[in-house]
Amino acid sequence: MAEAASGSADKSVQVKLVLLGEAAVGKSSVVLRFVSNEFQANKEPTIGAAFLTQKCRLEDHVLRYEIWDTAGQERFHSLAPMYYRNAQAAVVVYDVTKASSLEKAKSWVKELQRQANPNIVIALAGNKVDLVQSPSSSAHPASSSESEDEADDATATPGETPASSGGEPEGLRQVPREEAQAYATEAGLLFFETSAKTGEGIVELFTEIAKKIPIGTILASTRGGAGRAGANGGRAGTGQEGVNLDENAAKPKDACNC
Amino acid sequence: MSTISTALRNFKEPTKEQLTQNFFSLSGAVFTDASAEKSQEIEKMDINAVLSLGVEGVEDSYAGKLYLMPPCLTFTSLDRKSVRFTLPLCTIRRVERLNARAGIYALSLSSWHGMKIIVQLTSLRPTADLFCSLLRDALKVELQRGRMKAVKGFVKTCYSEVLVSSPAPENEREDGSLMTTEEKDAATANESAYHGGLGLRFKFPGDPKKLREASKIKLWTTYLKAHGRNLTLLRYPQCTRLVQVGLPNRLRGEMWEVLSGSIYLRFASPGYYEQLLVENKGRSSTSTEDIEKDLHRSLPEYAGYQSDEGISALRRVLQAYSFKNPELGYCQAMNILAAAILIYMSEEQTFWLLEVLCDRLLPGYYAPSMHGTLLDQRVFESLVQRCLPIIHDHFQTVDVQLSVASLPWFLSLFINSMPMIFAFRIVDCFFCMAILKINGEKLLQIQDDGGFLNHMREYFASLGESAHPNSTDPRARAITNFQELLLVSFREFSVITDEMIQGERKRFRSEIIHSIESFSKRSSIRNLRTLERFTKDQAGLIYDALYKAMCIVPPPPVVLPPPSLLNTNDGTEEKPETRIGLRTFQYFLSEVATWARDEKIVMNGFQQRIDREVAEHEFIDRLFFFWDVSCRGALSFQDLVSGLDGVMFNDLMENIEWFFNLHDKNKDGFLTKDEVLTLSESFLFIFRYEIGDAYLGAVSRFMTNAFEYGDALLPREEGADDSEPLPSPTIASNLPYLNLATFRMVVLADEILESFFETDLSASFRLEPLPEMELPVSSSGILGDLWSTIATDSNKRMFNMFTDEIGKAVGKHQVVHRPSIGRYTKLEEPKARESLLTPAMRRSMSQGNLSGKAKEDEIKAAASSSSLTVDAVMQPSKDAISAPPSSTIYSPIPKPLIQASTLAFMERTPFAIDDAKDEDDESEDEVDGEDNDDQVLDEVDAFLEAHDSGLTDADKELAKDLRTAEPVK
Repeated sequence: MAEAASGSADKSVQVKLVLLGEAAVGKSSVVLRFVSNEFQANKEPTIGAAFLTQKCRLEDHVLRYEIWDTAGQERFHSLAPMYYRNAQAAVVVYDVTKASSLEKAKSWVKELQRQANPNIVIALAGNKVDLVQSPSSSAHPASSSESEDEADDATATPGETPASSGGEPEGLRQVPREEAQAYATEAGLLFFETSAKTGEGIVELFTEIAKKIPIGTILASTRGGAGRAGANGGRAGTGQEGVNLDENAAKPKDACNC
Repeated sequence: MSTISTALRNFKEPTKEQLTQNFFSLSGAVFTDASAEKSQEIEKMDINAVLSLGVEGVEDSYAGKLYLMPPCLTFTSLDRKSVRFTLPLCTIRRVERLNARAGIYALSLSSWHGMKIIVQLTSLRPTADLFCSLLRDALKVELQRGRMKAVKGFVKTCYSEVLVSSPAPENEREDGSLMTTEEKDAATANESAYHGGLGLRFKFPGDPKKLREASKIKLWTTYLKAHGRNLTLLRYPQCTRLVQVGLPNRLRGEMWEVLSGSIYLRFASPGYYEQLLVENKGRSSTSTEDIEKDLHRSLPEYAGYQSDEGISALRRVLQAYSFKNPELGYCQAMNILAAAILIYMSEEQTFWLLEVLCDRLLPGYYAPSMHGTLLDQRVFESLVQRCLPIIHDHFQTVDVQLSVASLPWFLSLFINSMPMIFAFRIVDCFFCMAILKINGEKLLQIQDDGGFLNHMREYFASLGESAHPNSTDPRARAITNFQELLLVSFREFSVITDEMIQGERKRFRSEIIHSIESFSKRSSIRNLRTLERFTKDQAGLIYDALYKAMCIVPPPPVVLPPPSLLNTNDGTEEKPETRIGLRTFQYFLSEVATWARDEKIVMNGFQQRIDREVAEHEFIDRLFFFWDVSCRGALSFQDLVSGLDGVMFNDLMENIEWFFNLHDKNKDGFLTKDEVLTLSESFLFIFRYEIGDAYLGAVSRFMTNAFEYGDALLPREEGADDSEPLPSPTIASNLPYLNLATFRMVVLADEILESFFETDLSASFRLEPLPEMELPVSSSGILGDLWSTIATDSNKRMFNMFTDEIGKAVGKHQVVHRPSIGRYTKLEEPKARESLLTPAMRRSMSQGNLSGKAKEDEIKAAASSSSLTVDAVMQPSKDAISAPPSSTIYSPIPKPLIQASTLAFMERTPFAIDDAKDEDDESEDEVDGEDNDDQVLDEVDAFLEAHDSGLTDADKELAKDLRTAEPVK
């Protein structure tokens, strides 16, 4: 697939995407899952921002996501404009087990809608949904060993699934799906609940974004500056194979989900 | 919401003394702590000297400078690079004057570690004598403070003591960690006294064999034996070289501590860390919350941080620092830094090192605004531009922002970018020479010339690989990329010095501050719950006024809001928010509302300026509390916006109601008699500078009417128990008296008040662009200093006073209060108003007083006619305003009448302007002052110039004198 992608390099569309959200909601994990289909329990906090790329195929286009994964702590806020300038898409992440993280997400959305590229596609992602699902659907064999300490820590990263979660998982949830969905609809956002740990919803998230992006106009605009696009395409991001975003193909590829 | 900080404005260039202290790795805390206990201040002094080591043949002698900076004695060689030491005085055991041949003045100092150094004082004899006596005094003080005794216990905490005293270094295991048996040994032999990091238990990163730990240890042991250790380390070139080769793991912590100077802090404040933790036990804050989030995400691959021991050590250190410096609190990246340091250092050592890092080595990096980081990004970019123009141009053409990649490097000192073992090497050098911080990155740019972040990542990953894999020479193949990197950075970028970086920082500081401020302005505006009816630009103007007020009258520190039920709707806890107190509010209002400032138009024949003072009046206080809807005794930006919204867009009826509510203290819909009086006073306050007496008349009519109507309505209200005789209804002055409807009626009965409420009140709030505020002058050198002394406010005031005096002497001096509304004066005094506002008329007034006199007569006539009615009205309202027999006595407030009648002649009250507070030098930003091109001003300009240069010369002389005089002291 990677060959196919680079072979049709002239068709590849670059999409700059930025991830925003409160600290420790799992932004980096979402990207890591999407880009290399991995999950790290204790991911180091992002300082400043991280940059990753991933190619994906949508219908007959090849999309090349240039993903800017930003730091979440409040004091890095002033750096954010540097990253979201010219972005065509943004994923605003919150943590379903932490109500305040949705508030922060809302303020990011507000900022993006006022300050960023006016045509930006914004998606809202409620991450760590594995923490609030019944164990049968979410339990990853490896997770039980990681869940020893911090059982009482609601802000724990997904790797620290509280041991009690088997009992009443929904008790951890602080943001009802309906509430977030309602807000997303009202603000005109795409909405997904995701789990970077299990991979749930991740591919769908990026697929829907890809569908919503006006590829034609981007193509038209990058044609003009084709030299640049070619140069960037040359250094393929992670060396991973691309993700096929066509829905039919997506299902088998994410077989690890269940 | 948001906090608004003016902290960036307060930046001061470090003094020369501070620079010297920094050079010797001494933080201010070392001194303040010492001087607090000192009975008398001991003078500091520096003297030329030649340093040689007591042992023959080990090191050369170096000429340099010896500094006595109690509680330390420091030395640096002339090139400020080769040799330096920082000795706490208490480690000096013995000082002897050496018997040498004539003309040579030499001292021998023996340190606690038995090391002997000889300093030859090469200054003149009397200077040397003075230095010796000062040294003697300083040593005595140290002895009295008992610091000498502290040394013994303290050095036990240092690993180097164990290293040097242990006879055979072979008990150092190659793997850098102690075997269990040895651990026991160490525990019994040294009572596990020395501080060490997690590495002692969880191993140090890297393969000790490859790192050649054993030979490094050997080299260091030799060095430390001869040159002192921990507190008494002398830094000769050999030391720097050894650091560049790499520190042995077990010594790394201590060397970091010594080279960064944090050891002196730890020495100066024993037990402080423990105490801090105990005192703040159980406290939680935003910082502690943030810390919890990151504890498990700090170098998670290191074994120590998969155990509870490591995690809780990290927690304690980070929390302790956030308690010590709540303003900075905790910034992501500090966790990584602290985690890395903790591998090599004990908690207490780490804590002090963090302190030194955040405070001195990386100033402003982790501050809430991160201005230090941004500043250094800018500096870095410009250095790249200067030194590597090709790469810079390349980045420009492909639109790559350097800072995108370099920011994380700076913030975490490469620890999370490079494999750990290499990162620590960078850190080693960082502490050794702050320059390297820049150098290292520089070089990384060289290696990478097209691909960006990914390349960088790959490059970092490949640091351990051979730099010349294809070389036939096995020795060349052994050189790793990392060694090459260090080599290049030391060799090719050694031109980049500390001074250069300082200079660049200076250059970009204001730019960065400006951009941060404008960002925080934008986000403050965005974070408003509601803009009300303002546009964004208007809100920006409100913000500017608020910001300016905050710069001049800083608000109290941000306090966490009390638990209240007001904000529970979202279930979110409210973030700390900047709120201003009354004093700041007064200033803010004076920027926004014309009646909240006293503006005097001063003309003295040389210049015409407007002196502005902040007005104080109960009315303003009332407004403050009226807008403080959440009753916190302080206003937020939102409160101000909403408050202003409540008055600036009102129509007639709304304004009347607003004014009524403002004075209705208990919100019962009635004004009491007292409140009616204060309301009238508010009127008088607002109208205090209006020309003519139309407003005065209006207020008095208002009062007559108010009491008339009020009295008339009174019986009906008390009608229920009308046993009292009605004709003279007396009502206590604090009972409900006048309701809104009546008030409205009374107001509308008067044309002037009506128009006041219809338009003038709202219009008296004006949002105008403020002139750009100047940042603190940061130029250096004599010229800069001189300029800043000349340009201070006080000098401006002096100049103003001076010209005023001359103006008075020539008879051209006059002061006029600018009216706040300046509208109705037209009705009665069209000419007077003209003369105030149009330049042509003004000039004619300042020259000849004929027209002024004529006007004055008119005014007098008008005044006397109206004063009659006023008298009549005032009589019933007994207390608030004393009944005036003539027109000149309404004196709680300066009267427009007085102003007007003495317009032409008025002798300026002496020094009225000189009492002006700092706030009043906004003389240029008058609204209607498009008139300053008349001859008079030209004269002033000429005068100004002459005056300025004269002062410059005088100050220059003085400065010169002082500079030569200083050392003699």
